[in-house]
Amino acid sequence: MTQQIYLDYAATTPVDPRVAECMIECLKPSGAHGNPSSAGHEYGRRARQLVEKARAQVAAAIRAPTNSIVWTSGATESDNLAIFGVMRFHADRGRHVVSSRVEHKAVIDPLKQLEREGFEVTWLKPDRHGVVHPDQVAQALRSDTQLVSLMHVNNETGVICDVASIGRICRERNVLFHVDAAQSVGKVAIDVEAMCIDLMSVTAHKAYGPKGIGALYVRRTPAVGLRPIVFGGGQESGIRSGTLATHQIAGMGAAFQLAEAGREADVTRLRAMRDRLWAGIEPLGGVELNGHPEQRVANLLNVTFHDVEGESLQFALRGLAVSAGAACSSASEEASYVLRALGRSDQLAQSSLRLSIGRFTTDAEIDAAIEMIRHQVPRLRGIARA
Amino acid sequence: MSSMATARYAALVEEHFDRPHNAGHFEPGSDVIQAKSGEVERGVVFQLSARVGQGRVEAARFEAYGCPHCIAAASWLTDRLQGMRAEDLERWNWREAAQALEVPTEKHGRLLALEDAVRGLAEALRKKD
Repeated sequence: MTQQIYLDYAATTPVDPRVAECMIECLKPSGAHGNPSSAGHEYGRRARQLVEKARAQVAAAIRAPTNSIVWTSGATESDNLAIFGVMRFHADRGRHVVSSRVEHKAVIDPLKQLEREGFEVTWLKPDRHGVVHPDQVAQALRSDTQLVSLMHVNNETGVICDVASIGRICRERNVLFHVDAAQSVGKVAIDVEAMCIDLMSVTAHKAYGPKGIGALYVRRTPAVGLRPIVFGGGQESGIRSGTLATHQIAGMGAAFQLAEAGREADVTRLRAMRDRLWAGIEPLGGVELNGHPEQRVANLLNVTFHDVEGESLQFALRGLAVSAGAACSSASEEASYVLRALGRSDQLAQSSLRLSIGRFTTDAEIDAAIEMIRHQVPRLRGIARA
Repeated sequence: MSSMATARYAALVEEHFDRPHNAGHFEPGSDVIQAKSGEVERGVVFQLSARVGQGRVEAARFEAYGCPHCIAAASWLTDRLQGMRAEDLERWNWREAAQALEVPTEKHGRLLALEDAVRGLAEALRKKD
């Protein structure tokens, strides 16, 4: 097969060469191999300097104070730390959490674990566009609610949640607010203080940084009570033990700085490209956009193709590296739970594709993708006419 | 979301999927029989139609909604239906397609729907006789 066209930027992004360069510098013998916690010598201090520079870069990208950034291994760990950390710390005050049915598994699974431990979770159902509304959150809050955990940008549909309004509600009701913003950086403006966010998960690899590094924003004033989930050397103020991965952290810092600096230009360019992709697909007929038509990020299209079986659709479009609404050769229960929460049947969820573009997508790739889809979908419909 | 192109298909499946043989249908007529099986909700629908003469299938066509294995199996099958009598159609077993196309075990149930369509053709052919 010829080289696939990469349209799966919502799954992960390639590392920007400028980020890679920064990381390589760290890894060289002359770089920063010292332990950032070794303050007693120059090697350690050099590494610490890079870690703190990156911390400031990440903090700036989300308008947070530098000392509120805690390094983790990625958004999954950040979500786990936020959810378990808050709920276990405050368990004597209340054991209720509010979240939604369209969260990432990195939020859903820790919450299900909490349910097994005797905590209660209210699972909000989004509307048919995938939007969780602030008034739903307000109605779900109880006197024993300790935490609301919602994602900023949905990883499957690209729908943007009004976290600022929800943050204000939570702040008024004295409930902590955690936001999984893995998909947001470089796509949507973030200001954790203005949005009244208490904890926010971010990751490098969705923003042209390396995999294996992320961060949790933890509001410092007033302090958020958080029980660690990893114990050891007491790094990161005891919130997350473990030797800091200097090169990964430096890469994340550089990636976030680039993402935020180029955000507006990127969004404008990607929106035009995404709209052109949709304009190329829509005339096929029997196609439906999943998610809100306006309230969504610029780089993602989630499309249901009617009258085409999902696995055949995926195989026919194997020249495109995209994500599907179900696993190949799937049983119905494997259909995307996010699309099902939006009211799609198992069959339609399986016949859906997420096409996500990014910094390195070209117009020629969009043209080729349109051509492939416009050829293969009618071909399969023709075979299936019965 | 799951990553695409994780499934692996035999070369014969890929060939029939990309360039299916005998796709389409014969318009109804006195020398045409047809049979349908499966349901969209269950992920597979087969429609077979055949032009018949002197108690035999002269040519066959298929329409299929289903996974690549299903489309390939229907395409592969229609090549073999030519010349079959009702008793040959009644004897046809889904395992032949499963073996030739290396269809994974979890999909064998879908081929049973194809066998049902072949049985339907047999019944229609007997009625013509």
